[in-house]
Amino acid sequence: MAPAMSTVSDARVGWRPPPRIANAWTRRALWIGAAAYAIVAAVTLDVDAARVAEGLTRAGSFFGGWLRPDFVTRWGDIRTGILESLAMAAVATVAGVLIAVPLGLAAARNLAAAPVYAAARGVLAVSRAFHEIIVAIFFVAMFGFGPFAGVVTLVVGSVGFLGKLLAEAVEEIDPAPLDALATAGATWASRVAFGVLPQVMPRVLGLALYRLDINFRESAVIGLVGAGGIGATLTTAFARYEFESVSAILILIISMVFAAEVISGRLRKALL
Amino acid sequence: MTPPEYSLRLRDVVVRYGSKPPVIAGVSVDVGVGEIVGLIGASGAGKSTLLRSVQRLVQPESGEIWLDGTELTRLPPRELRGARRRIGMIFQDHALVGRLTVMENVLAGTLGRTGFWKSVRRRFDPADVDEAFGLLDRVGLSGLEDQRCDALSGGQKQRVGIARALIQHPDVLLVDEPTASLDPATSVRIMTLITEVCRERGLAAVINLHNVPLARRFCPRILGLVEGRVVFDGPPSALDDVVLERVYGAEAIEQRHGAGDVDGV
Repeated sequence: MAPAMSTVSDARVGWRPPPRIANAWTRRALWIGAAAYAIVAAVTLDVDAARVAEGLTRAGSFFGGWLRPDFVTRWGDIRTGILESLAMAAVATVAGVLIAVPLGLAAARNLAAAPVYAAARGVLAVSRAFHEIIVAIFFVAMFGFGPFAGVVTLVVGSVGFLGKLLAEAVEEIDPAPLDALATAGATWASRVAFGVLPQVMPRVLGLALYRLDINFRESAVIGLVGAGGIGATLTTAFARYEFESVSAILILIISMVFAAEVISGRLRKALL
Repeated sequence: MTPPEYSLRLRDVVVRYGSKPPVIAGVSVDVGVGEIVGLIGASGAGKSTLLRSVQRLVQPESGEIWLDGTELTRLPPRELRGARRRIGMIFQDHALVGRLTVMENVLAGTLGRTGFWKSVRRRFDPADVDEAFGLLDRVGLSGLEDQRCDALSGGQKQRVGIARALIQHPDVLLVDEPTASLDPATSVRIMTLITEVCRERGLAAVINLHNVPLARRFCPRILGLVEGRVVFDGPPSALDDVVLERVYGAEAIEQRHGAGDVDGV
């Protein structure tokens, strides 16, 4: 080091960013508390060595089956399940967008009057309150087993997801064009159509494509509780210990999700 | 009714945001038919707020704003939309929808007289479309009708904004800092265009300007605004150093004598 450095005061040489929690004792107490909780939590999990060993043996037969995927034996069921899941995802996404766009506009603070805003935010919050699995159990109980309950579940999820993110996109738009349209004597509806929608359209499209992807994957999950789709086929295959078919289904799901990723990327590039 | 002598008359207009001191503290101004008025003042003097209050983008707390025989400050929404059509506004940041084409942005000026579904389906009145093409020729944007507005230069965007205001068939133009984001040469061209179209169409105009030399050059009448009050009202020739010091403070004068310009004060 250059000798000149020694003349600089220690406070400048040893500079560090100020800690987020100013009090050192509070900081240490938080660390100790977090560590203690982690230990207690691990103990209460009640890990049973015998069961772990048994599980590992069973896992062996899983993986054995997965290395030999069998698309042929249950191809009819798999094909029906995949097509059903695709249809469920597509219908739920379209219906979700159609419902979410007006709701999202109503849930944007810069467009809606206070009572409308509060009501729309409430609807969106309720539709996101429960995980899809719980919603699916509810709708299966209501409408019986099958893809209809699944579609309704996915619509609820899509509306909550798209509506909330769209409302946030609308709240971030450039307000100046809206003023300009107002000064031309445009009505509220015209201002939305000309000033708001063109600004949020790329976002709506991107979110819809992403949600289509999510809906396809979700359709595999909610099928486990009887809401149709490839998930139903998957549960059946598991129940019959046909791990070769399970493997085939999982490979198909993965490749469909990859394909969706590629297609949505291309669409986004072409349309935006 | 006798033909109106004045386009726009403001009487004791007060605008206040929340419980703070008023931004516009009692402004009374008469703008004659076809008169071009430059409004100068430091940042925060209330120039933009004054223009926005005429269009009721901000609601005046008290006072009256007359457009010919119509008082604007208490008009119900439907009548307000009709009155707004007669006041064209040109914005500092041009306020275009970047993702729409030049033509769509110009025709947005007709939304006050075009039905909602027709506008959504872009089935505009053929007469309006024809007029829009004419206006694009007039403002120097021939052939650019299908360009997206976010692909245009600053000066071109401002020209689209001018065409959008003119297609409303206004009686008055309110122009808010039209040259704020433009280079000096483009600023002069835009100001020339605005004042020319006003003369061609007999439009009155109130133009907010930061730039005092531009105001002197293009506006036969100048208003100086300080803390929401009009402190000067007269021709450019009466706009001397004493007045400028009142409007902009002493530093502006030093800068003026130093650099020969008060651009961007």
